[in-house]
Amino acid sequence: MKVSVHLKVNGQEHDIDVDSRSTLLEVLRETLGLTSVHRSCEEGECGACTILFNGEPVSSCLVLAAAADGAEILTTEGLKRGETLHPLMESFLEHHGLQCGFCTPGLLMTAYALIEKTNGGQITETEIRKGIEGNICRCTGYMNIVKAIQAAMEARRAGNWW
Amino acid sequence: MKNFIGSRALPEIAYHRPPDLAGLLNLLAKVDGDLKIVAGCTDFIPAMRSGNWGFADGLNVIDIKGVRELAGIRLEGDRLVIGAGTRLVDVAQSEEVRENAPVLSEAVAQMASPQVRNIATIGGNLSMASPAADTAPPLLCLDAEVTVRGPETQETVPLTRFFLGPGTTRMKPREVLTEIRFPILKKNEAAQRVRLGLRTAFVCSIISVAARVRWDGKTITDARIAMGAVAPTPIRVTGAETFLVGTDGSETALAEAAAKAAAEITPISDLRASAEYRKAMAETLTRRMLTRCIQNLAA
Repeated sequence: MKVSVHLKVNGQEHDIDVDSRSTLLEVLRETLGLTSVHRSCEEGECGACTILFNGEPVSSCLVLAAAADGAEILTTEGLKRGETLHPLMESFLEHHGLQCGFCTPGLLMTAYALIEKTNGGQITETEIRKGIEGNICRCTGYMNIVKAIQAAMEARRAGNWW
Repeated sequence: MKNFIGSRALPEIAYHRPPDLAGLLNLLAKVDGDLKIVAGCTDFIPAMRSGNWGFADGLNVIDIKGVRELAGIRLEGDRLVIGAGTRLVDVAQSEEVRENAPVLSEAVAQMASPQVRNIATIGGNLSMASPAADTAPPLLCLDAEVTVRGPETQETVPLTRFFLGPGTTRMKPREVLTEIRFPILKKNEAAQRVRLGLRTAFVCSIISVAARVRWDGKTITDARIAMGAVAPTPIRVTGAETFLVGTDGSETALAEAAAKAAAEITPISDLRASAEYRKAMAETLTRRMLTRCIQNLAA
């Protein structure tokens, strides 16, 4: 069964006919070509497919595309400005917050929402780790991810952000 | 190959999204064929992919996320009322819940992951009726009641009578859980909860314990002890509860209550833990939760 959905993805409006069995992950990755959204466990237990859904981190594999009608979606393709990396991404690079990179897009979206929510305020390392508990990383052991997020929060406070 | 996982094709589904409660009840009355009510879909989509439910083509999926009447938290006198469609994140962060029933908000804040809590609902967790459902022990210890509606019916029952077995509730196929309500914690009461898991997030609880104690300054005047993942459904250990009433809340009394609680349950061994471990932890955690309650009350 086909369902018509309207999505605003990375600032662009789309009207798409989706199969009622499709997930948002499939539509973003395959219909819209946003390959930063990774197929991983497809049961909501790893966070690799995390995108921002109306500003909140959501595992896109757990959302029926049909249920996403009217939503505003942000992926890492939308964090970049053209080819310019977002300061959060620069921070991950500088602090080695990634190795293989497979979990990274999902982590970036979770981290972005977490940092935005602090609105420049301080949060503890425990709160950061709690905030990213839905994103599994097999490579880094999370230490550098936490450092990258802390550095990114500093960048935001310093006005190097969007 | 689209819509295939391995060699298993996903069944065709007919997707409905009623805009309000009247629309939902109308669909429940009129829609043809099998139906499944969904909200966050955090259990539904993995189950659909695993083929565990064996849905046939043409399953009617009724998405209640748009039904405004089902979401929301409000204080009604001395009762908290939570719409079944309320997201877990909203339950965890609600001021009303944190102030009046922190035993619930703390349990919910530990469920799954932030991503899942941003879409999963309290009604969905109860309706799926996992023996390890993490919203259940706190709600059971708070004497929660749930309201179930069908196209022509409405019934409010104690949560103790809602679960019938693993994955099964008293709801009929064309009924929907609409709200959960419970008395707020009084000044002479304390409630504590804990759960054990193999990790911190994405946990299917090995055991969860929630206890509530009412205290008159010298004796325990009422008690509730609820557990998850130790029985076919979330349960209360009423023998231990009855024993506690009239005791002085001393270390000895709490230890005996905890031993009785552990003796009352017959947990199973599964891939997460052995029955022996669950029984041992039931005793330890019950004693710990009761002790914390008394410490909070005596302070």
